[in-house]
Amino acid sequence: MNARIRRLCAPLLGTFLLLAGPATAQDTIKIGVVTDKVGPAKPYSEPALEGIVFAANELNRKGGVLGRKVELLVEDDQGRPDISAAMARKLVDAGAVFILSISLTPATQQQQNVTMEAKTPQMTPMNSGDTLTTQLPNPYFWQTGPLGSIQIATLLSHARAKNLKRVALISDNSDLGQLLARFFRAGLEKSGIQVAVEEVVPRGTTTAEPQMQKIRAANPDALFMAGVLTPENVLILKAYRQAGLKFPIHSSYNLSVPQYMTVAKGLLDGITFVDAYDPEKPEVKQFVADYVRATGKQPYNIHGYGYDGVMLVADAIRRAGAPDREKIRAAMQTTKYAGVMGAKGMAYAFPEGKRTGFDPNGMVVRVYEGDRQGRVVHTGQQ
Amino acid sequence: MQDFLELAVSATASGCIYGLIALAYLLMIRPTGIINFAVGEWAMVGAFGGFLLLSKAEWPYPVGMAAVLGFMLLVGWATERVAVRPLVERGAPLLAPILALLGMLVVFRESISLAFGPDPHQVPYPFGFGRLELGPLAGPYQSFFIIGATLVVFAAAWLFFERTLWGKCFEAVAIHRRAAALVGIDLGRVTALSFAAGGAAAGLGGLLVSANVSAHYLMGVPLAIQGFTALVIGGVGRVEGALLGGLLLAFAEQFTVRYAPLPAGYAQGVPLIMLMLFLLLRPTGLLAAREARA
Repeated sequence: MNARIRRLCAPLLGTFLLLAGPATAQDTIKIGVVTDKVGPAKPYSEPALEGIVFAANELNRKGGVLGRKVELLVEDDQGRPDISAAMARKLVDAGAVFILSISLTPATQQQQNVTMEAKTPQMTPMNSGDTLTTQLPNPYFWQTGPLGSIQIATLLSHARAKNLKRVALISDNSDLGQLLARFFRAGLEKSGIQVAVEEVVPRGTTTAEPQMQKIRAANPDALFMAGVLTPENVLILKAYRQAGLKFPIHSSYNLSVPQYMTVAKGLLDGITFVDAYDPEKPEVKQFVADYVRATGKQPYNIHGYGYDGVMLVADAIRRAGAPDREKIRAAMQTTKYAGVMGAKGMAYAFPEGKRTGFDPNGMVVRVYEGDRQGRVVHTGQQ
Repeated sequence: MQDFLELAVSATASGCIYGLIALAYLLMIRPTGIINFAVGEWAMVGAFGGFLLLSKAEWPYPVGMAAVLGFMLLVGWATERVAVRPLVERGAPLLAPILALLGMLVVFRESISLAFGPDPHQVPYPFGFGRLELGPLAGPYQSFFIIGATLVVFAAAWLFFERTLWGKCFEAVAIHRRAAALVGIDLGRVTALSFAAGGAAAGLGGLLVSANVSAHYLMGVPLAIQGFTALVIGGVGRVEGALLGGLLLAFAEQFTVRYAPLPAGYAQGVPLIMLMLFLLLRPTGLLAAREARA
């Protein structure tokens, strides 16, 4: 009897194992994403997430990572730091071996409390606040967005020939706007340039005329814009044009998003802005062609941040040899990855234990020609 | 002096926008007692209406503006039918429609965000991006257009309440709801009309301001706060109080930024301080409601 049962069971067991075998091979590598789908970061988080999804699809189309498909687990923190850590915890519990943060800078900061405790690698491919890697000694966190200090240093490097003495600085009251203004001010003062007047345009205001009047009264050599809110930046540009002012404007990377070309039509000619995206770079051309082919939509720089984030993480997982959080952490620290973002020849790297990976010489300065984002006129800080 | 007068024009235009939003609140609060914080989102809907009709479809400005106002009347009326009337008819406490309207705020914002995406959209100026000089007063064409359009609306609202039977009906409902019903005034119709008119006032505010700030899905809440502050300052009792409150708020904001020796960014606190002071010291606002005449 036992022999008959064994004879019957053997093929069944074999079939089960055959079925179970491929199922094991199909286990995915889970990458968590904390994004903002409804809050103030949505204009940036949404295209970045599109870039992330495109990158994951590209990886899976080519066989995945370490022979396993990449699975994205996406959580929405609504741009709210108070719930962002809970979203990170949810991703850790769901088995994410890496978390990409594309919400607001303060939200990314809060997620670090979880990733540090849970020893889960986390990276923001686009946040630019300089303080993200300095407030917590979190060895599981990296940042590849171009820092505010790099932005102002690149702008100043370009403006060196203009021999600036006294300038005006204007920003908005968003967290990132304030943070960028802080690092812009520090960079200007470090270069011996006096910030003659500093103004803030609050979110939701209906005009920037009083701020521009104060700036006009200070008669600066140039105006530096550190704000990141598009409607408020448009108000600043309108007040500047209405007042007939002629001093040059140098802007943070916020003016690099293409929405300005339609929403600030007629206001942009001659403005220089710092960007992490060089349209002439071969990697950018390839990325644009692939993205258009796959989605039918034209990508821009924010898509590139998300795309680079996933590709950089995939590179680290490959070098780690296994989706093991500790091995990935070690592999991340030895990253040298050339992506879409950055000047020609730039590669992300975290040398000597650093956790900010954007090359200080990796930004470019571009100039608006009419309403069009024009050519690169300067690269790096030299 | 040139700066002072230019800023006066700018502050008057901003004050008119705040006044229109405050008027939207007032039109609903007076007869119903309901504070509708979704007025900011109505303004946003008006702004996107402008984007669709004036930027996309390129309708002539007066036609597009009239269509937006007509649509906003419908939006206000529909909001009342969906979020207010069912609760009132079931005898729900006053807080219930206020909370339901807060829910509508999210519905409006997310619907717009899904339909138009998160990026801001340009709404054209009716007279272009130019500068007008009227004697010592100078400012963008749009500022003068905002001031003119707002004065027309407030004059019409004042005439409606002071000179028409329907306006008297509104006032009667505001003074004593039950007594008004007893003398045959249709409370449901007054409520529906008040929401429709509120929708139009808020939508006009959104359309006018969107030429400056562009139409975007997060523009509603700041406008709702500014309008509410203007309402608290001016008082809910009289139409002209809404405009007075808006002007005072805008002048305080902009002249503090320009002339007060405060570090950058601190001037943002001025509206909140004004709001707290008025709530504490003069909760009825500057202009109190007229007493009922015997």
